[in-house]
Amino acid sequence: MTAPVKVVPFPSPAEEERDGLPQWLLTTDHKRIGILTIGTALFLFFLNGALALTMRAQLAQPNLHILSPQAYLQFMTQHGTGMIALTITPLAIGLGVYLVPLQVGAPRMAAPRAALLGYWLYVFGSLALIWGFVTPTGGSQDGWWGYTPLSSGAYSQGEGMSLWTAGTFLAAVGMLLMSATMLWTALRMRAPHVTLPRMPVFTWTEIVTCLMVLSGFPSLLLGLGIVAASRVDPARFTTNGWNIAYQNLFWFYGHPVVYVMFFPFVGCVAESLATFTGRRFFGYKGTVLSLLVFAAGSMSVWGHHLFASGQNVNDYFSLTSIFLTIPAGVEYFGFLGTLWGGRFRYTTSMLFALAFIPQFLIGGLTGILVANPAIDYHVNNSYFILGHFHYTLFAGSVFGFFAGFYLWFPKATGIMLNERLGKLHFLLLTIGANTAFIPMFFLGYDGMPRWMATYPAGAGFTTLSLISSIGAGIIGLGMCVFALNLYESARAKVPAGPNPWLAHTLEWSTSSPPPRFNFNLTYPVIRVHSYAPLLNLRERALAAQQERREA
Amino acid sequence: MPFRSAFSQLFTQDTIIAWVVFGLVIVAMTGAMGYSWYRGRKGMGPLKAAEANRLELGYAGALIGMVVFLVISSFAANAKDYPDPPKPAVTVTVTGYQWCWRFHYEGTPVTSSGQCQGLRDLPVLEVPIGQPVRLNVTATDVLHAVWVPQWRFKLYAYPGHVNSITITIPRAGRWIARCAQLCGVYHYEMDFWLRAVPPATFQRFLRTGRP
Repeated sequence: MTAPVKVVPFPSPAEEERDGLPQWLLTTDHKRIGILTIGTALFLFFLNGALALTMRAQLAQPNLHILSPQAYLQFMTQHGTGMIALTITPLAIGLGVYLVPLQVGAPRMAAPRAALLGYWLYVFGSLALIWGFVTPTGGSQDGWWGYTPLSSGAYSQGEGMSLWTAGTFLAAVGMLLMSATMLWTALRMRAPHVTLPRMPVFTWTEIVTCLMVLSGFPSLLLGLGIVAASRVDPARFTTNGWNIAYQNLFWFYGHPVVYVMFFPFVGCVAESLATFTGRRFFGYKGTVLSLLVFAAGSMSVWGHHLFASGQNVNDYFSLTSIFLTIPAGVEYFGFLGTLWGGRFRYTTSMLFALAFIPQFLIGGLTGILVANPAIDYHVNNSYFILGHFHYTLFAGSVFGFFAGFYLWFPKATGIMLNERLGKLHFLLLTIGANTAFIPMFFLGYDGMPRWMATYPAGAGFTTLSLISSIGAGIIGLGMCVFALNLYESARAKVPAGPNPWLAHTLEWSTSSPPPRFNFNLTYPVIRVHSYAPLLNLRERALAAQQERREA
Repeated sequence: MPFRSAFSQLFTQDTIIAWVVFGLVIVAMTGAMGYSWYRGRKGMGPLKAAEANRLELGYAGALIGMVVFLVISSFAANAKDYPDPPKPAVTVTVTGYQWCWRFHYEGTPVTSSGQCQGLRDLPVLEVPIGQPVRLNVTATDVLHAVWVPQWRFKLYAYPGHVNSITITIPRAGRWIARCAQLCGVYHYEMDFWLRAVPPATFQRFLRTGRP
């Protein structure tokens, strides 16, 4: 006898689509999971940015003590871990969770409950880190690397560092779950005619990102295990082997994560450039191949963080790091080739995408400099490195994110953002970022180490630090304009329509916002012949029109 | 080979290459903007071609060539930088601890340190001018790092492990050294002085223990 089949009541799409709190917080709709992730990350972006502004205020002049050294290190750790693990990584993954199913013509994402669990783990991880600030000893003071033995129970007493360990762990597991389900969606749930070489560049960038998350993040979990154990029993972890093991495990995650925070934004820039030049993205095959090569290569460069450790194979990691110039150069060729012969439309998204190109390039070229051990012996752990990675992460990735945000906001919400405020936001961010980060190269070259809570008056750091702080203030102003833009646009509610930008990819063929299962009878999945299906349709219509005219 | 001269050679070379690449990209972008404006005036739509395989392959070839050159110069600089170290005239064990430095001159009873209260009375590492000095760098508690910005060298100090570097300072002077590894609350003032003195003065220092 067979057991009777238990019928699980399944909420109807209409029921699920309601706008109540439970419908949002327990959603299985990838679009809502994506919006929740991006919204949470944006909130944390403002929070962690405010911490940076406070630190820049302290550094504007020598010997300031707006923050105690302890508080400074807590702010700095929260800013670092907060931006990397809790803001830019989730922005990168969240964009994919929202867009990848739409771009490949899937009605939903694979294992949405696992992705939702990933989101909640990320939320609770973030709460754990912030919780550290209300414990008696405050948050973690050990930097986003959490190097042992400083982070062990012997040298970092109090709950702050323990909460950091737990929170970073939870957020990493969350990102693993979201990446795994996104990868599954992209590889196994595409519409039948969306073959691999017909996937948009953005989807490809998310695929390689997922591959790097799945390869790199487990190593962080192991490393955090060492930190956790050394907090419980520091005496067992006094030998050098544990410290160097932790550093290798950490950077085996810590370098791929840099590209996790880069590729999706390369995808944003690629889609924005293609849309606003009216061209197919140039050199698609080369770019996709270079993305895959880049992701593979990114797994063998971690040792360049340890050039000055005296316990590293410097030449090997110099070779692998400089090698990454090749795929990166190929991607840049794609950008420039797309620009060439286009008809530019200077929207806010396009401006952010255009600024991304030279600004990220500064980060990339200084990256080649520091990939040389002979140079890194001097600039390692200095402000030069801060300048380098703020150019990649802020002037690069965050600009790429905003290129994507201004591009896809109408799709996700159905309303347009205010372009005038958007351009002001862009202008302030560009001026601010370059004013804030250029001086860092000179500060580092002149001998200013990272992690300094303050600096003495005679050290020669004052003028450049002040300029950098002014730049940070301009960035803060720019982000206020962004917040104002969100508020203003939500009030004005200018309807977007399915494809306000005349973009090329599949998500623009459905309504804005898309229906519960992405496509329906009114907006069916159109036949896809290339990675720019809507451009194909438009070109065919134009050609037909011309033929009629000639006939 | 003067100490750390590889740094300035390589830094200059790679910075020039970086500026050239940056300039080319800016020129290409400006050109594309101008071309777009021109096409707009002529009423031409955007170009349709989406690939140029031969051009792309040629470009990739050029990239590979550049990378080979960069890697070779990296290896060469690294080899030139730290050749087989000359036999040191003196060996100093440099120990970092929260938040100060201690210097023990091997084979002598001399050990020096400082008060390390704020930036007054910083420890001084004395070395003889023009003679190779071996620094054995270690730590007792957490990670630290020795960095002398003016002489472009840096080495991490690990507890339970000794890293070595042989330095040769060619002229008299005093240079600030900073801790370049996050080591806790007072990391920002964990400095010391590197001072190069004539060999005779150095020998007197070793005999008396006083600078």
